Amino acid sequence: MTTDTFARVQGRGVVATDSAESVGSVKGFVLDARGRKIEAIHVDGHGKKATILAWSAVKAFGADAVMATTGADPSTIDNDHQKAAVKGVVTMLGTRVLTVDGREVGTVTDVEFDTDSGVVVRVVTDQGPIEPDRLRSLGSFALVVDDTSATTGP
Amino acid sequence: MNLVRARDVMGLPVVSISSGEDVAEVRDVVYDGEAHRLVGFTLNKRGMFAGRLKAVLAAESVAAIGPDAVMIDAEWAIDDSGDRAAGLDDLGAARPVIGNRVLSADGSDLGEVVAVILSTGDEPCAVGYELQSGDRSDTSFVPISAQMALSGENLVLPAEATAFVRNDLAGFGAAIASYRSPGLEKNQ
Repeated sequence: MTTDTFARVQGRGVVATDSAESVGSVKGFVLDARGRKIEAIHVDGHGKKATILAWSAVKAFGADAVMATTGADPSTIDNDHQKAAVKGVVTMLGTRVLTVDGREVGTVTDVEFDTDSGVVVRVVTDQGPIEPDRLRSLGSFALVVDDTSATTGP
Repeated sequence: MNLVRARDVMGLPVVSISSGEDVAEVRDVVYDGEAHRLVGFTLNKRGMFAGRLKAVLAAESVAAIGPDAVMIDAEWAIDDSGDRAAGLDDLGAARPVIGNRVLSADGSDLGEVVAVILSTGDEPCAVGYELQSGDRSDTSFVPISAQMALSGENLVLPAEATAFVRNDLAGFGAAIASYRSPGLEKNQ
């Protein structure tokens, strides 16, 4: 499994394999409701004019460029979930982490993901890493996580 | 057992575990002094100058009270039907507990009730009262028991509860845990 992190891929170019044209660059991610998988990459524009590329269109998440499948066209956002993500209302980086018993346990500093599947493999916080099986939901207020005593250390 | 003063819950965000959204914040704690029971919370909208929410949060619908947030399973935990849970209606007629004098069974004045103490976790309830002595020099915590008599002026602490009175909140948490499960007390 090859992994990369949100912080490292920020700004990386996205190129269509057939036309060799630049589609945009990695500006951010749209994650599923639990924050466990990447659904789409925010590649261009802001707010209502933002365009995103579905994860299914990613052919290779390379070290120097993200290669998108033939004919992959970024689409405009079409729902509130995507809108919240591209506007930065719901985003992993910088979000407070809250346990299900109501304790704040830091802020997300980075997210490590599998470059093949888009699955989040680790959330890094300023108070140590969090394994993805603890993730319950990602919202505008917080990343809610299960409280486990099995800490993995900072 | 983790404990918190009821007033410290006021202003905390109410966060949905299923969405990660802050759906409200605690406006006030609704407490039934006569039954010594935490009924629930009235709510405000989130944000500065945001007004009161019609919706209320019953104690049974709370998933957890933490130091930083009150957690609910999902948005539906907030009762928005207008059909308020029993006891969440106007409690204006209920006997107030703050300001009551607490007397021990043998007639000593233990002080005046200044706060209601709640247990946190997934089944929050009222477990004790914080008392301040007449000259305000001394703070103590007494456990709530069903046998506690309340007149609107005075609370009488049953004799068997006297052994669980503590002067600090952390120590009181441990005392409450053994008060509620007497079997454990002997083993400690």
